Amino acid sequence: MKTTFAAILGATMLTAPIAYADDWPTRPLTMVIGFAPGGSTDIQGRVLANVMEQYLGQPVNVVNQPGGGSAVAFTRLMNVEPDGYTFLFGGTTALTFTPIITPVEYEIDDFEYLASVALGQNAIVTSAEQPFTTFDEIIEYGRENQMTYAQQTPLDEAIIGAIAEQEGLDLAIVPTGGGGGMAPLVLGREVDFAYSGGTHAQYTPTGEMVVAAFMSAERSPFYPEVPTLMELGYDFAIEDYRSIIVPQGVPEDVKDRLISAAEFASESETFINITEGNTFFPVVFIGQEEMETSVRRIRAATEEVMAE
Amino acid sequence: MIFVPRSDFWSGLAVASVGLLALLWMIPNYAGSNPFARMPPGLVPGIGAWLMVICGGVVAIKGLLQMMRDSLGLVSADLNWGALAWAAWPFAYVAVAIWFMSFIKITWFGAFLIAGMLILLGERRWYMILGCAVVPVALLYVLSVYLMRVGIV
Amino acid sequence: MDFAVIGTAAAEALTLASFIGIGGGVLLGYIVGVIPGLSRSVAISIAIPMTFYMSPYIAISFLIGLSKGTAAGSAVSAILLNAPGEASSAATALDGYPMAKQGKPKTALQVGLIASVMGDILATIILIFVAIPFARVALLFGPYEMAAILAFALVFIAGLSGGSIFKGLAAGGLGIILGTVGLDNQTGLPRLTFGYTELMDGMPLIAVAIGTLALSEMFIQSEKLRYERGTMSVAMKKDPNDRITWPIFKSILPTILRGTGVGTFVGALPGLGPSVGSFMSYGMTVKASKDPDSFGKGNPKGIAAAESADNAVIPAALIPLFGLGIPGNVSAALLIGAFAIHGITVGPLLLRDSPELLYSIFAGMILASVIMLALGWFGLQFFAQITRVPPHVVIPIVIFFCLAGMMLQGYGTFGLIILMGFALLGYLMKKFDYSFVTFLVAFIITPMLELNLRQSIILSRGNWAILLDRPIALFFIACTAVALIALIYRTFQTDKAAAGAPVSE
Repeated sequence: MKTTFAAILGATMLTAPIAYADDWPTRPLTMVIGFAPGGSTDIQGRVLANVMEQYLGQPVNVVNQPGGGSAVAFTRLMNVEPDGYTFLFGGTTALTFTPIITPVEYEIDDFEYLASVALGQNAIVTSAEQPFTTFDEIIEYGRENQMTYAQQTPLDEAIIGAIAEQEGLDLAIVPTGGGGGMAPLVLGREVDFAYSGGTHAQYTPTGEMVVAAFMSAERSPFYPEVPTLMELGYDFAIEDYRSIIVPQGVPEDVKDRLISAAEFASESETFINITEGNTFFPVVFIGQEEMETSVRRIRAATEEVMAE
Repeated sequence: MIFVPRSDFWSGLAVASVGLLALLWMIPNYAGSNPFARMPPGLVPGIGAWLMVICGGVVAIKGLLQMMRDSLGLVSADLNWGALAWAAWPFAYVAVAIWFMSFIKITWFGAFLIAGMLILLGERRWYMILGCAVVPVALLYVLSVYLMRVGIV
Repeated sequence: MDFAVIGTAAAEALTLASFIGIGGGVLLGYIVGVIPGLSRSVAISIAIPMTFYMSPYIAISFLIGLSKGTAAGSAVSAILLNAPGEASSAATALDGYPMAKQGKPKTALQVGLIASVMGDILATIILIFVAIPFARVALLFGPYEMAAILAFALVFIAGLSGGSIFKGLAAGGLGIILGTVGLDNQTGLPRLTFGYTELMDGMPLIAVAIGTLALSEMFIQSEKLRYERGTMSVAMKKDPNDRITWPIFKSILPTILRGTGVGTFVGALPGLGPSVGSFMSYGMTVKASKDPDSFGKGNPKGIAAAESADNAVIPAALIPLFGLGIPGNVSAALLIGAFAIHGITVGPLLLRDSPELLYSIFAGMILASVIMLALGWFGLQFFAQITRVPPHVVIPIVIFFCLAGMMLQGYGTFGLIILMGFALLGYLMKKFDYSFVTFLVAFIITPMLELNLRQSIILSRGNWAILLDRPIALFFIACTAVALIALIYRTFQTDKAAAGAPVSE
């Protein structure tokens, strides 16, 4: 009798968490994407939503909240109810980089980084018709000739600018309107080399573009022979994780469900095929603990680069 | 060509003032600066502001000259307040609706929004009001929940 | 070109499933296009989740059919309500709405539909047979050329504004200022955002377009109700003369061909977009006409010029997409996403690796045009009933859809406030006769023009002589200069005319 009473009491006290653990979610979820439909984050997000839906048993609706490279979406995410029904899928640069150069209302500690499912790609590309193909050859060529570089973010501009100064290059850096604006400049040889956040995946198979180096911390599995800037002796890296992010204060059990849904998705064939096969982002599952430290480490490293 | 000197004068003055405001306050304070770029960020908005100041100024001056020629006063004596109020109420109505939308989703009160405006515009047949109020909202519900799957907006 | 492959592809394109898929896409696009406040981006957001369950070929044809449907559908609301759903249909309203008010709504709709479908089919044929092998030509248009073309488009379209040139240029100035709001494309620092995170990507184009075009028009019309109650509805009587005739068709045919040419050129160059195409075509038609004064008052050529170019842009934007993998405009960029979801990488590889799919898509595009013609032609009777509905009923419903459409875009209350601000601005511009067309075009072109200009200045390192190696850029710079001189000359002419004009208030 006593035990039964205790069990009931315990059940009543723990009703919410237990219900969460077993049945959560009980209504449709919302995945927020901080970019307009059609980009690589959007494609990955929609496929991810589809797969997570299979695991969670509730529809996962995708809502696009474009603006400021996800800054708008993060600002709004900060203010949603932390019940786990609304989560964001996207890169981490809006947290590791954007707050350094623009005043935003949110900070790294306002969110929790549950899981990463894909690694961002940051490459330095050039046209196959140029007289150089590797990064060393670019530098070599640049010592003799004036060169041009197409940037996409102030961060890659800062890194290339620092390298150009170090190597004594006469480099003109032009802005582009993102990956779609970069491709014609490189293919038309208006610029000598450029930054690519993933667009190159469409052009390297045709042999029109060549990846000269990676700005990421590690080599890409799709271009195993291309070195990173770190390996070439430049102490710079851009890292970006496509992750599931929730505001602070989501119950533990709900977080666990979301993390296991993400882990399930990272093993799903559909998600791997599309993410690796079409957007050329390696699918890598990284759990919460590692993500929390990574985000803060990248932020500190980025602050150092931008300070120069 | 219809030439309305008084409204030209005031609208030209307004345009030129906005341009001047942009030139003197907005662009210097909010355009930012980029010492490395060959094209400073304030250049293009500056061109736009100059266009507004010059062209708005020309419109205002031409209006003023015409008014002096026709010996018109700067303000009209017979302002039609009824007409102004009639022009203004839809703006107020929509502004209140937007204020509402920050608390309640439009799907919930959209029917009343349409019905209210219909009644204000003089519609009295109940079946018209009901149909016009309910059908678009139902359409929005289907669109947002089932087709776009963004949930109720 | 392998004709056996084309044959198989055509056979595959003509299955019942594809017929339903494409027809559904066109219909959905048409309905979304007809409703002011809902735009192409809403249609595409509806479509992307739906395409998960379709085969790649049907999915892509469905999406292309959807784009075509919205382009043709937005002409309906432009002609009948003067409330275009897209910025690119604003040119259609210039002559379409006056024509509908003159008791010829059906003729106007038919001219619009025929121009849409012809522009569409011709551009698709150009895409299939000519353009893909020559897609690399687009690479000849670097930053210098693009900057020159954009400058030309801006000056040329500014010259279109009726009434006072000074008012038109002042409106253009405001468009330029508002077009520069957002993150600076080089430093990433906010510019004229006044600290609002929401403005970092600039004033949302959808809010600007819906506000100045559709919502402001509703305020104008509700104001008119006080004076013209009952007379404003363009009743569709059974007027046997209200239909397109052979002489009308013959007179608009050259216009359609010109519009298709302009639309194809604009669409094939990445980044220009349908608004530039339809206004350029409209302007060229006015310039080529013997009596330019008849435009803006219900000339069917005006509708044909705008609609043919608007629709020709959609297939033409696929030229750089299929030939080079570069999206021609926003809709084409969305298609890349849809392709990727189905495991297809768009670009030159597609022609090499799976030509059947490519030719199936082409066949599907032609099929979509034919379905659009049939649907539009028979649907005309139904859609034109809108004109029988008295305006006091239309106004609240359109206002509701403008607000709801904005919410669907996910910009929140901030987007609604921007929408309201632009509705007020559009209302004042229409009231005081400032050209909202010049404003809108300046707003749309400025960001691209500034980026290309900046790229040109940096790449040339300030050395102007580089232009001597760029004949295309030089040509468009010369065109810009001529257009500018013509504009200044016309300003003085209107000045003289205005001085002698009778005064009225």
